[in-house]
Amino acid sequence: MATGKAASVVTRQVRPILSLSHNEARMRALALYKAWYRQIPHTVNENDFPKSVKQCRQKLREEFMKHKDVKDVRVIDMLIIKGQMELQETATKWKQSMHIMAYWKDTVNKKPTDFYSKFLEGKD
Amino acid sequence: MLRAPLHRALSLPNLRQLSPAFRNLSTTSAQLEKIEVFVDDKPVMVEPGTTVLQAAAMVGVEIPRFCYHERLAVAGNCRMCLVEVEKSPKPVAACAMPVMKGWRIKTNSDMTKKAREGVMEFLLVNHPLDCPICDQGGECDLQDQSMAFGSDRSRFTDIQFDGKRAVEDKDVGPLIKTVMTRCIHCTRCIRFASEVAGVDDLGTTGRGSDMQVGTYVEKMFLSELSGNVIDLCPVGALTNKPFAFTARPWETRKTESVDVLDALGSNIVVSTRTGEVLRILPRLNEEINEEWLSDKSRFACDGLKRQRLVAPMVKNEKGELVSCEWEDALVSVAKAMLRAGEQTAAVAGGLADAESLVALKDLLNRLGGEALCTEHTFPQDGSGTDLRSSYLLNNKIAGIEEADLILLIGTNPRFEAPLLNARIRKTYIHKECDVALLGPKVDLTYDYEHLGDDTATLKKLASGQHPFNKKLSAAKNPMIILGGQQFGRQDAAAILAAVQQLSQSLSSALNNKEWKILNILQQVASQVAALDIGYKPGVSEIRENPPKVLFLLGADEGTITRADLPKDCFVVYIGHHGDQGASMADAILPGATYTEKQGTFVNTEGRTQQTQVAVTPPGMARVDWKIIRALSEVVGTPLPYDDLNAVRQRLTEVAPNLTRYGSAEDANYFAQATELSKSVKTQLASTPLDVKLKELQDFFMTDAISRASPTMAKCVQAVLKQKSSKY
Repeated sequence: MATGKAASVVTRQVRPILSLSHNEARMRALALYKAWYRQIPHTVNENDFPKSVKQCRQKLREEFMKHKDVKDVRVIDMLIIKGQMELQETATKWKQSMHIMAYWKDTVNKKPTDFYSKFLEGKD
Repeated sequence: MLRAPLHRALSLPNLRQLSPAFRNLSTTSAQLEKIEVFVDDKPVMVEPGTTVLQAAAMVGVEIPRFCYHERLAVAGNCRMCLVEVEKSPKPVAACAMPVMKGWRIKTNSDMTKKAREGVMEFLLVNHPLDCPICDQGGECDLQDQSMAFGSDRSRFTDIQFDGKRAVEDKDVGPLIKTVMTRCIHCTRCIRFASEVAGVDDLGTTGRGSDMQVGTYVEKMFLSELSGNVIDLCPVGALTNKPFAFTARPWETRKTESVDVLDALGSNIVVSTRTGEVLRILPRLNEEINEEWLSDKSRFACDGLKRQRLVAPMVKNEKGELVSCEWEDALVSVAKAMLRAGEQTAAVAGGLADAESLVALKDLLNRLGGEALCTEHTFPQDGSGTDLRSSYLLNNKIAGIEEADLILLIGTNPRFEAPLLNARIRKTYIHKECDVALLGPKVDLTYDYEHLGDDTATLKKLASGQHPFNKKLSAAKNPMIILGGQQFGRQDAAAILAAVQQLSQSLSSALNNKEWKILNILQQVASQVAALDIGYKPGVSEIRENPPKVLFLLGADEGTITRADLPKDCFVVYIGHHGDQGASMADAILPGATYTEKQGTFVNTEGRTQQTQVAVTPPGMARVDWKIIRALSEVVGTPLPYDDLNAVRQRLTEVAPNLTRYGSAEDANYFAQATELSKSVKTQLASTPLDVKLKELQDFFMTDAISRASPTMAKCVQAVLKQKSSKY
């Protein structure tokens, strides 16, 4: 009983970050997606990096789909804020082309999973 | 030279009760009535003859001591263990004083404390203040006890430095560094040398403040167990010479592991820092090494850093070995293997772990190869290696202490297994045990009856016609130890058959049916595990059917040479040192030493133990079984195990005893083995029995690791120099 009461007190006292409901968070996410979608052609045009608009939009979708299962409104809000910051950094060219390329992580080697490649790498 | 001779110390009537080791085994003391004493007002019932120090230990009170050591005779000369006994006018030395009924011992009274402070003061007034440059710092009994029991202020007034005792340092060989000014005359080293090592080289000269511990004339401490005096020394007088000024004990990481340089599998602690093995210390195991360690196991650790194979190598067109990537090496080995098909063979050396042995066997079997051999041989006639009892030290190492007659055949245990020899010596001295030797006359550090080195004598013994047979049949617990080296002879089968028949005839007349008589002393750490897994002993099969691809799994003894193989034979060496095996290889796959892998080893008594990873393998070297597993993938028949647990699962399938760590599986079927041995047709040859390791200089360099060790090379030089000196 006591724990149930305490839990309800805690849930009541959680402070929202941006959105008051799940629906509101969804609207914000969609807005962010659209903003990114519209920004991409400009970014591709203004920066020198070897990706097309199509590839960038695919990456955008990928990045959003990474978090498709997040249910907590506060977490969604946090991710939206971070996405907004990334967008600002990209649009204002605080990010240079290599920073944008970091989304593709093509210089990161995959960790070996099977025995033989682990052996060759010398890692267990 | 003042020295308490051992026989005099041992003739003390109450010694049997003094030392706990004897007390546990004595049958008479159990019938004696226990007496009650009080230690710090806690009552405790003890057997008569127990010392004050032991009685205190029973209630958990540890009395400080310097000279007392439970495995050595009591000297009672450091006086650190003085405690008060009620109604006694003077404090008593706890280590030497047997308790009396109703004694009230006070280990924390003012008198006791004052006595300890006084003793500490006397010791320190003649001890240099060089702790900052002393190698014992951090593991020094004097340091610790002066903190705990010493006075809190000094009365030392000699600030002009004109009177502190100074003693000349001794040179006792390349292993032990001596700073004799630090010596507090506890005489532990002297007692160890004369009682355990059996080399009466150390003693004292002079009296009072002129007393010195030393060898009288400058002389090397010629013992295979000399390193143990370093552990025994409570101060920094005797320290590890190769380890001098290297590290402090609190900086090192300690890994509990197992030694593989002889067949006993002594328990060790490997001290490491910055990925280097700095030193090796013994770890207590009453079943195997007690708390001692042989010099080879202790000091050969610098061989782990030299002559190492750090990258895979393959021979180029010019016939030179060139280092390459793992993938290239594996592919070229795999190509050769696929060409050879069934005509692949393997030789396993003395340092191979059970995991790599089973992996290599699985791999070769999958390709149809059946010729997997060990370097050290064993007769295949009669029951061969089918019955485990034929190749084990069946009585176990600790079982030696129960024997009353030991017959050594074709072995020199002093250098083949120094700690086994120390056990025999312990039994010889403290119990009614006689020793006889059939083989070349060597110095075993105790007296024995020499039966000659003739095989005719063995024949006579087996048929019961030798005068010594009377003694054997009169013995209650006779033990026969046959040296594994004799299996290299042409008539090995006949020797084993003769020994089996002799033991069986004795065994049938024995009252104690549990007692086994036949014991084999193996030469190398890997042999028992290899035979358990199903390797064929000896390389004769490879000589008869020369293979197209030959694997050498750490085989460095040169039992197979290029001359035995066809010209197009592809030799692959899997191992850690550039030694004999690597020099004849076409491809080298660098492996890990026993300090770099978690590997299973079975010692000569059949006890399974494992080494632990203390450091990582150097360069591109990999753990041996993983090399074989990776190779199997390139060949196209991947072995079904990816991690250590899976390999050990496989080991369990092959032989369940191989993963029961710490326990020694008993073996049996002696009668059946003897019955089968009667079918042996080989006749005893007339060449006398011989052993390879006769003198101390032969002991130090016997395997790839110790051959690579500069310290071991220095030892050989020092021993030869000492032998040529007039002392």
